[in-house]
Amino acid sequence: MAVRSDVVGMAGAPRPGLLTRLHEWWEQEHVFGYGLIAPALLLLVCLVAYPFGMAIYFSLSDYWVGSPGGFVGAQNYRDILGNEVFRQTVWNSFVFTIIAVLLKAVLGVWLAMLLARNFRFKRVVRGAVLLPWVIPTALSTLAWGWMFDSLYSVVNWTAIRVGLIDPPGPNWLGIAGYAMTAVITVNVWRGLPFFAIIVLAGLVSIPREYYEAAEVDGASSWGRWIHVTLPLLKPVLAVVILFSTIFTFSDFNIVQVLTRGGPVNTTHLFATLAYQVGLNGGNLGQGAAISLFLFPMLAAVVFIQLRFIRKE
Amino acid sequence: MAGSSRRQFLKQTAGAGAGVASWLALGQAPAFAQRRELTMLSWNHFVPAADDELKKQAEAFGKQANCTVRVDTMAHLQMPAKVAAEAQSQSGHDMFRTAAADPFLYEKQLVDVGPLVEKLGKTGGGWYPFAEQSCRTDAGWRAVPWFWISFPGTYNMAHFKKAGFGDKVPKTWDDLLQMGKALKKQGNPVGIPISHCSDAHSTYWSIAWSFGAKVIEADGKTPAIKSAQTERVIEYYKELFKDAMEPEVLSWDDASNNRFILSGKGSWIHNPVSPYNAALKEKMPIADDINHHNSPAGPAGTHSAPPILSLGIWRFSKNQELARDFIEFLMKKENYDAWIVASNSFNHPPLKNLADHPIWARNPKFAMLPKEAEFAHPRGWPAKPNDAVQRIDNNYVMADMVAKAINGMPTKRAIDWAEQQIASAVKGQLKAG
Repeated sequence: MAVRSDVVGMAGAPRPGLLTRLHEWWEQEHVFGYGLIAPALLLLVCLVAYPFGMAIYFSLSDYWVGSPGGFVGAQNYRDILGNEVFRQTVWNSFVFTIIAVLLKAVLGVWLAMLLARNFRFKRVVRGAVLLPWVIPTALSTLAWGWMFDSLYSVVNWTAIRVGLIDPPGPNWLGIAGYAMTAVITVNVWRGLPFFAIIVLAGLVSIPREYYEAAEVDGASSWGRWIHVTLPLLKPVLAVVILFSTIFTFSDFNIVQVLTRGGPVNTTHLFATLAYQVGLNGGNLGQGAAISLFLFPMLAAVVFIQLRFIRKE
Repeated sequence: MAGSSRRQFLKQTAGAGAGVASWLALGQAPAFAQRRELTMLSWNHFVPAADDELKKQAEAFGKQANCTVRVDTMAHLQMPAKVAAEAQSQSGHDMFRTAAADPFLYEKQLVDVGPLVEKLGKTGGGWYPFAEQSCRTDAGWRAVPWFWISFPGTYNMAHFKKAGFGDKVPKTWDDLLQMGKALKKQGNPVGIPISHCSDAHSTYWSIAWSFGAKVIEADGKTPAIKSAQTERVIEYYKELFKDAMEPEVLSWDDASNNRFILSGKGSWIHNPVSPYNAALKEKMPIADDINHHNSPAGPAGTHSAPPILSLGIWRFSKNQELARDFIEFLMKKENYDAWIVASNSFNHPPLKNLADHPIWARNPKFAMLPKEAEFAHPRGWPAKPNDAVQRIDNNYVMADMVAKAINGMPTKRAIDWAEQQIASAVKGQLKAG
């Protein structure tokens, strides 16, 4: 009978082999656990923490493209706060975000309730609604650009033909108020599906019994909405508003493609101004400082909303 | 990816694979890896055929100099970041297409090309004045002027005739205003962008210089915007906007004025000859009506701010001599001529002899274009090109100043605003490269 070599080995040396020991070490809970999150952690450190740290460092330094500068403390922040274009951008960002998120919330819930009904081709329509969210923003915004074009605006053309406005119609991207309307419109158009689909998921998960019970108690459809739907939707709404606020606040593509911040900086957002100053203008320090202004504001939004969710 | 198909890619990677294998087998670098490779970074030319011709010439030069020449092209808006990255990492291409203030910004990183410039100037009949203004720093020539893009007046002859102007074209900015009033009444306004786009600035500089206004002093750091001349410029713009243009110019991008004239609505724009070329290419009937004339003059003469592109060689390049030879090769009359033809007369030579090309003389609509070189300056002039000027352009300060005044801000306050912006652009003056 052949004797198996490992058995002989075991008999010769009571200490387990290297491989076995390694295996045992790896099997320990604290090692294995950290081992599993290590790849994700590495990604986060490389792709999030490192750039974020660099951005903070840039914002505190006199750093230009092609020329690393020294530490200047809060000078960049003082400079941008003193600049009228930046103050205008802060104002724009709030107007843009508040109006866009509000519209998306109201229209999104409305759209979700429509989609929650039973109708023919429900699946196809639900899928189609997602399209604006799915196509690359740069492409869809270019199409919007044509619709708002000063010469070939299909929006104006249609409105003039229908008799809604007098020719030549509004100069969409050339007048401050119209330009802001245009970028908000495109943002709402694009962000609406995200809102609607997530709210829809929330709506579908509300048990039918609640509605039946409310009906038995004599609640009108408005009453059911206020006392059943809304309270149960709140957590979902809070999360989706949180995400939407972040996406909207940090929007870049739409403004960059439609107006590049114009006319006279009335549609600049933090991201587009940071791009203009930091990359086009080469002033990385100031560009980083501008984009970091997003951070405390978003942090505040996240903080308030997360607290709200937890309380719920 | 520009210029490399899947097949080429497979060939290259297969070559690389085989190369590595034989390298490992022989223990020495294979012969083809020792062949010198010269690399150049350029932009995606607005006339793609010009890039094809450039690559053809690169190949011809490669054969002649027994080397490989690789020309990479990329979108012009992405070039500044790429060039900056190469400067910072001290690696990348051997030479690149410089634009705007690059020769000054990278003064210390670019090799001296003085002797070459001199040699080319001697054989080429001399350089136009803007060549020196745009490429010669205090340390010497940092780039070889390559080509410039004329920025004439483009007008629709039919509209001008209909308005009773016959063959008359606006010789001065004031003419443009007077004629523009009639043209607008006729339903054919003129158009100069006052918005966040680069054409807006090309025209602003041109008008400002023609009125004797400056943006920055010759020292490159003192704001010079506050002047009676700038006020006149703004008043001019306001009047032109009100009486000869339509509000759409406030929303224009760089392609809008092309569409404006090609649609048949516009009567006059300030732009490179691209609309005319596009009309020819697409066989649009309007091509017959479009014509060009030299950029208008003002009380202080005629001036224009065309894009000026040059060639610089990195100091970190290991092929500096080869790069110099390649530039000389590109500037040879027969090669340059072929390139002008490929670009359909879009590329204008900075050397006087090269400007004699029949492509301009033969077409009366182009005949006046080479002359534009005589009154061209790099932006910022009389200051040397520098990053503050570039930043003023990148932040659209001049266009915004004009737009503010048009939107009702008192002229003096708009100028004050611009002065602040200029001061902050200067404050960030880059410590030389």
